[in-house]
Amino acid sequence: MQDLIIIFVSTLLINNLVLSYFLGICPFLGVSGKIESAFGMGMAVTFVMTLATSISWLIYNLILVKFGLFYLEYVVFILVIASLVQIVEMFIRKYSSSLYQSLGIYLPLITTNCAILGSALFMVTRNYKFLEAVVFGFSGGLGFSLVLLIMAGIREELQYVNIPKVFRGASLTLITAGLLALIFMGFSGLISS
Amino acid sequence: MSKIIIPTIVLGLTGLAFSILLALLSKKLKVKENPQVTKILELLPGLNCGACGFSGCRAYAETITKECSTFSGCLPAGEEVNKKIAEALGLTGCVSSSAQVVICHCSAKSKEKKSSSKYIGPNDCRSANISGGVIDCAYGCLALGDCINVCPTNALELKDQAIQVDFKKCIGCGKCLKACPRNLFELVPIKNNLPVYNIACANKETALAVKKVCSKGCISCSLCTKIENSPYQMKDNLSTLNYNKPNDPTSLEQGKSKCPTKCIIKIS
Repeated sequence: MQDLIIIFVSTLLINNLVLSYFLGICPFLGVSGKIESAFGMGMAVTFVMTLATSISWLIYNLILVKFGLFYLEYVVFILVIASLVQIVEMFIRKYSSSLYQSLGIYLPLITTNCAILGSALFMVTRNYKFLEAVVFGFSGGLGFSLVLLIMAGIREELQYVNIPKVFRGASLTLITAGLLALIFMGFSGLISS
Repeated sequence: MSKIIIPTIVLGLTGLAFSILLALLSKKLKVKENPQVTKILELLPGLNCGACGFSGCRAYAETITKECSTFSGCLPAGEEVNKKIAEALGLTGCVSSSAQVVICHCSAKSKEKKSSSKYIGPNDCRSANISGGVIDCAYGCLALGDCINVCPTNALELKDQAIQVDFKKCIGCGKCLKACPRNLFELVPIKNNLPVYNIACANKETALAVKKVCSKGCISCSLCTKIENSPYQMKDNLSTLNYNKPNDPTSLEQGKSKCPTKCIIKIS
């Protein structure tokens, strides 16, 4: 139980996928303009990431390890993520049309989110057990949403500020991202081993 | 040899398993779409302008198929298309939506509207309106283009700080009415391509106050109301027109020619 909590906190804050591994930067910069869309994207990513890591774990440990085909992990994981996104999209469309309408555009985007492939690959290199992998995937997604929401909040406020010309647009966004990453580095003392 | 065959088989089977799963699920989870919705969606202009009050054409199509009594006509679609939609819904002859366009009640150009202070701040009318800068007239167009940004058909254009409406492009969705912090826009019906007369001023102050801030404003001289059968009426120190009843073109033109500041303009 303690292991699981440590994994949860460390993936959420200390080893945040976005701010310390720099994965999923594309949606991080692209969808962080509005809090509303950032929330939708974050929830969709959390959902897919949890499922993707758990199913990838099953396939890796039950099939690939058995045949000694470790090098196939990349191809198989991409396959898993792509089909999962499709299945999730179909399910949501069938059973909750309101959720489908709010997530609609973001679901296909998740297929190309490298944070999800990254979390599946980390789960392998860190030799997680099944439950640990599930928690890892879930907290990774939550960490992604957290950072995305913080960024969206800051960027919404920044719209009302008179910004010097050189900093306008992408440059200020990148500087903000860098400062956020620095702040998150501060969490590294949270757990002492 | 087995080094190639085993991975091929494993990968092939995993792929196959996923594709079969996807194929089965896509059949099982197929969402039945109402054919009527698809048909109406094809008929609608597909601008997603939101004039109907729904988030887009799809949402509107879904609602009106469910409850056809809510259908009151799509503004940009025009009369003919609306009739077709009504037919598709099983309603006949209940819709008559006349074409509307928008006019802007300020046409003062940069030289005409006076400005005694410089505005520095967010580049939109909403913020500028609060600060009270940009121009001296408290009613006139701030010319920062909030209306241009919301227009779905690019019908609005800033020419020398004055808004010009392209009637060929305007669909009368009324989005600019909400966007303008100074409420300068008005929706007016157009019939048979007749020109629209617009009192291009919204300043409710008396002549002296208007003259101070703008050389093109309505100075409430009421000359336009003094012609025979004048369609013009004075209200709040402003000349106004009732667009809902048909006005005589000649008296409209007469009134326009009487205006000393030339703030009545004819748009065709």
